[in-house]
Amino acid sequence: MRKRLLWTAGGFAFAGLSGLASADGWNMPVGVTDVSREIHSLHMIIFWICVVIGVVVFGAMFYSLFRYRRSQGAEASNFHEHTTVEVIWTVIPLLILVGMAVPATATLKSMYDTTEADLDVMVTGQQWRWRYEYLGEDVAFTSNLATSREQIAGEAAKGEDYLLEVDEPLVLPAGRKVRLLLTSDDVIHSWWVPDLAVKQDAVPGFVNENWVRINEPGIYRGQCAELCGRDHAFMPVVVQAVEPERFDAWLAQRKEAAAQEALGVDRDWSLEALMERGERVYGTICASCHQPDGSGSPPAFPALAGNQALLDERDRHIDTVVNGVSGTAMPAFRSTLNPVEIAAVITYERNAWGNDTGDAVQPSTIADEWLAD
Amino acid sequence: MWQIIKSVLAAFFGVQKEARRREDFEKGRAAPFIIVGVLMAIVLVILVVLVATLAAG
Ligand SMILES: [Cu+2]
Repeated sequence: MRKRLLWTAGGFAFAGLSGLASADGWNMPVGVTDVSREIHSLHMIIFWICVVIGVVVFGAMFYSLFRYRRSQGAEASNFHEHTTVEVIWTVIPLLILVGMAVPATATLKSMYDTTEADLDVMVTGQQWRWRYEYLGEDVAFTSNLATSREQIAGEAAKGEDYLLEVDEPLVLPAGRKVRLLLTSDDVIHSWWVPDLAVKQDAVPGFVNENWVRINEPGIYRGQCAELCGRDHAFMPVVVQAVEPERFDAWLAQRKEAAAQEALGVDRDWSLEALMERGERVYGTICASCHQPDGSGSPPAFPALAGNQALLDERDRHIDTVVNGVSGTAMPAFRSTLNPVEIAAVITYERNAWGNDTGDAVQPSTIADEWLAD
Repeated sequence: MWQIIKSVLAAFFGVQKEARRREDFEKGRAAPFIIVGVLMAIVLVILVVLVATLAAG
């Protein structure tokens, strides 16, 4: 009777642990790359080794405590050394460690093999967004949080992908090897997507490498995993893996759009067109610090609405946006935004929220006078 | 010599007989143990590198 009870309890414990090991949200995901699968199976092997060791060690301990208790007349045996036992308890862990190291080393080596990639993508962390650049393809964009401010402030119901949604995901071709080159413009960030088994630091001044070959098309979400300042929680990663043919079409279309945008630099823009474009740029890039209504958060982030120095000195305003202000949180946008976006956002800042300079800063002015070097 | 190697190996492994230890401390000199220890540390490193290379294919 007692034996059966013990077996039943053991069975339940095993079933519970097995369930835990595969349950969504409790365990690390299996993921959608060969590497992520390897990592998951390594993790499970080591987990079960730990379980077995735990059961054996604690089992032996509790059994001894119970079986050889003093009230039953057990007496301690006093001896100083027992070479055989000592050799056994040294050799067994050694074998276990070597046994775990062999498959782990093989996986590590394949993780670090970034050679022969079909596509190179530069991933740059910025406070607080990710920028993606398809190297050699003239396609680059920033990927900003798309969750509404109302949801964050608790004024609206949280969506399904709360804080895990962006305006433009990183689009990658499924089945092709993609090399990721990670760096940062300001502080250390970390690009983390659990389903791809990639968590790599983005460090200013360094370029770290990683790679993915995504087996299944789909949307994979992650976050910045290195505390990087106030909006650390608001710079998610979204990767959209699509069929290679769809990717090629997407890339061609993005190239075309970039070329169109380049043409837009030379034409004359109306104040209204600049304002409309500028409002969008402001919302994704500037509003997180200077606030949607331009009120800023002084003293770190000055107000733009009714800022007399800004209204009086147009060139200094442009210089601030293009080159940033060293020693402050204001970054340079000369390489992040294109001339149209820079001109539009400056025009917007000079004419929104009661600012009424009437200035329409032309993209050609930015390109010729501020970015030509 | 063989005695020294065996004692150094035992030290690497972490298990040594008390009688052997006493014998080493009473009769031996320090220098040979240190030299053999350094040499065997180098051998160990080479071994680990070999195993890692083999494992990684
Ligand atoms: Cu970050």
